[in-house]
Amino acid sequence: MSYPIRRLGESLITLFLVSVVVFAGVRALPGDTATALAGEEPTPEAIAQIRESYGLDDNIVVQYVRYVRHAATGDLGVSSRTGLPVLDSVMEALPVTLELSALALLLAVVVGVGAGVVAAVRRGRPEEWLVNAVALLGLSVPAFWLGIVLVLAFAIAVPVFAASGFVPFGVDPMENLRHMVLPVIVLGSGLAAVVMRQTRAAMLGSLSADYVRTARAKGLSRRQVIMGHALRNSLVTVVTVLGLQLGHLISGAVVTEQIFVLPGFGKLTIDAVFSRDYAMVQGVVLFTSTAYIVVNLLVDLAYSVIDPRIRLGGAQ
Amino acid sequence: MRQRTSGPSDRPPPTRHRPRAAALAARVLWVLVAGATAGCASLASPTAEVGADRMTDPRPARDGGTLTIALKSDPDKLDPTLASTAVGRTVFTAMCEKLYDVDAANRIVPQLAAAPPTTSDGGRTVTVKLRRGVRFADGTRMDAEAVKTSLDRHRTLTGSVRASELKPLTSVQAVGDDTVRLRLAKPYVPLLALLADRAGMVMSPTALKRYGKGFASHPTCVGPFRYAERVVGDRIVLDKDPNYYDADAVHLRRVIYRTITDGNVRLANLQSGDIQVGDQMDPVQVGRALTEPGLQLFHSSSLGYYGLTLNIGNTKGAGAPPGRIDTPIARDVRVREAFDLSLDRDLINTIVFQGRYRPTCGPLPVGTPYATGSRCPARDLAKAKRLLRAAKVTTPVRVRLQISTTPEDNRLGQVIQAMAKEAGFAVSLAPTEFATGLEHSRAGDFQAATTNWSGRLDPAGNIDVFAGTGGAQNYGGLSDPAIDRLIAEGGTTAAKPARKKIYARLVERVRAAHTVLYLIQPTNYVFVTKKVAGLKVFGDGLIRVKDAGYVRGGS
Repeated sequence: MSYPIRRLGESLITLFLVSVVVFAGVRALPGDTATALAGEEPTPEAIAQIRESYGLDDNIVVQYVRYVRHAATGDLGVSSRTGLPVLDSVMEALPVTLELSALALLLAVVVGVGAGVVAAVRRGRPEEWLVNAVALLGLSVPAFWLGIVLVLAFAIAVPVFAASGFVPFGVDPMENLRHMVLPVIVLGSGLAAVVMRQTRAAMLGSLSADYVRTARAKGLSRRQVIMGHALRNSLVTVVTVLGLQLGHLISGAVVTEQIFVLPGFGKLTIDAVFSRDYAMVQGVVLFTSTAYIVVNLLVDLAYSVIDPRIRLGGAQ
Repeated sequence: MRQRTSGPSDRPPPTRHRPRAAALAARVLWVLVAGATAGCASLASPTAEVGADRMTDPRPARDGGTLTIALKSDPDKLDPTLASTAVGRTVFTAMCEKLYDVDAANRIVPQLAAAPPTTSDGGRTVTVKLRRGVRFADGTRMDAEAVKTSLDRHRTLTGSVRASELKPLTSVQAVGDDTVRLRLAKPYVPLLALLADRAGMVMSPTALKRYGKGFASHPTCVGPFRYAERVVGDRIVLDKDPNYYDADAVHLRRVIYRTITDGNVRLANLQSGDIQVGDQMDPVQVGRALTEPGLQLFHSSSLGYYGLTLNIGNTKGAGAPPGRIDTPIARDVRVREAFDLSLDRDLINTIVFQGRYRPTCGPLPVGTPYATGSRCPARDLAKAKRLLRAAKVTTPVRVRLQISTTPEDNRLGQVIQAMAKEAGFAVSLAPTEFATGLEHSRAGDFQAATTNWSGRLDPAGNIDVFAGTGGAQNYGGLSDPAIDRLIAEGGTTAAKPARKKIYARLVERVRAAHTVLYLIQPTNYVFVTKKVAGLKVFGDGLIRVKDAGYVRGGS
């Protein structure tokens, strides 16, 4: 079997398993959807009608098959809480989380790498102590506390940024920025601290390496040695760390979206879980998993194009 | 079609300060220190009194502007037939008018109806005259046929939450363009109050036909504002409706409802100017917000209550015939009375609710025509202990109390635990997330549980389903033929003095069963920036925005 077909098959199996786990997992939550949906006036008649209307009375296998059949055609169902199509809500939430995560990553890289380089280059001096202290603070402070303090300081005491909410970039770029700065700082600060520590450690190793000594001996400027040689080699470690931290970025986004009331994936998921909105939870998780699986598949296929050893098997 | 939701032109500019750099730095530093101690806020004592109910601000408002209102939770479906959350009613207030409404004195007044209804045939026929010249947001006419279509949909649509409310309604008939005749299986006095709630909302038949099951995505009714957009979990946007019959009186151009669940975040957004109205502020935030010079407070006595439900017979689920539960508190009314007597409602109000609510011991709220006004019995530990001895129970009597996971319920649970301990009860707390707690309560899987009811105007809405045998929310499994008889009498007796007497007896009977222990009548607290006038907050707790706007001469 050719490599692309094998990888595609593996991806489909993974997707199937994900759908089963999500479907079963959501139903394993304590608390009944129909009761939750009947709200303040949960009469037995209303609950029975809700069950019937959403097919909750059916066998779980029947429910699963129906769900997969619809999902295969791009229909993720209708939110049992709001009555709106799940796919619409997912597509509205996606840009918010993507923008938040991307900007937080950018902040972490710029601040973390910059501070890490300064700490390594100025080893043993006050600058290093300062950067280390700030990094320790960034790692230790809980996101929700930092968020509250930033809102108090920069949205209330000095009203520069928005305390909550989201305005799409396409609607008003300046308003978008005003709303995103504080969440991005909250989400990015922890990651920036990790990046800083890794950059500092890698840079310290590089700066004492032979190739840096050689570069200095060749008469290169201090800037060329640090940026062109030491940092360039250190970035390999930093990129690896960033990859490992991506999961934390996504989970951190959930907390940050709650603090700043950003209508992203995290908030959508949490609201859906608390209201037992099966369709929404399944839709969000299935969408995320599918995106993850597809991206991995594409990366693997791209690798196979670049490196024939992958598609032909390692031994050959 | 997606519409722009906010921007420089429609957002009132936040208050900008231009202090010097040093002052700015000092301010930020102070805030950082304050932020570090923010967790102590809940223990702060009230800093100012709120005074008598204040439901509106009569200053004249100018035309234009966007008002952003922060809601405590995300509304469910924006479909009057399917909606079931209290917070959803607030949004409907701006875009879906009803046949009748409630005024500041908790009286029912015509809204889409032209006059109070007339009854005939011994109360079995109710005739409603409609306001003329009214158009839906889609431009079509609101007439008797539209009312019939809506009421029939409420009664018959699968999943309708209104169906059980309108059970006594057997048929609806359009008599001409502007008269609707409702036929009932038996006289049903609470019907008028129901028609002043979601069951009385009239939907555009054209939109119902066009959108079908997707009506919640395109809610089309009669109202000062019409639906523009919804982003789930974030905002609901309504625009001024030019088709509205009283459009000239509407000042605002747009209203945005945003969901901000955390009270502290709602307050922070009020302070920053990102929102102008904060709905359902907790007592803790009220204390803090009262010291804010840019904010004004609207408040009205709520129609609801906080209480405790003790399970005495719910073995097969609410609505099913009660069974036998073999625990001291379920077996013997003296044990339940002892538990009740161990509680000090004044102290609960002071500790849990900062003294900003009102102690109560009945389901009918002060400020409504049927309020009984009886005083609550004082805490009496000696009598409580005597009752336990008479009941021959082994002390401490163990009680598992289900509470929700909110900070308020946690405090309430702990205070009850401490008070009941002195009388001889060992209360263990079981914090349970909302959906799970609701399921436990329905299924009878609890001994005691905190109850929080938003309240209804008609006394039936606060008693019948909670105390009547087989009542949908009779989670305690109370079953008393005398109570059932009084409930039936209350539902069919139209004369107010006679009905008031019935409900007074009913309340006494329910209280004597000690199955629902009424503790506190809350207050609706809504904070609004001082730039806004004309907002109304009545006893039903709904924010009315029809007359609201930014004050003249303001920014």
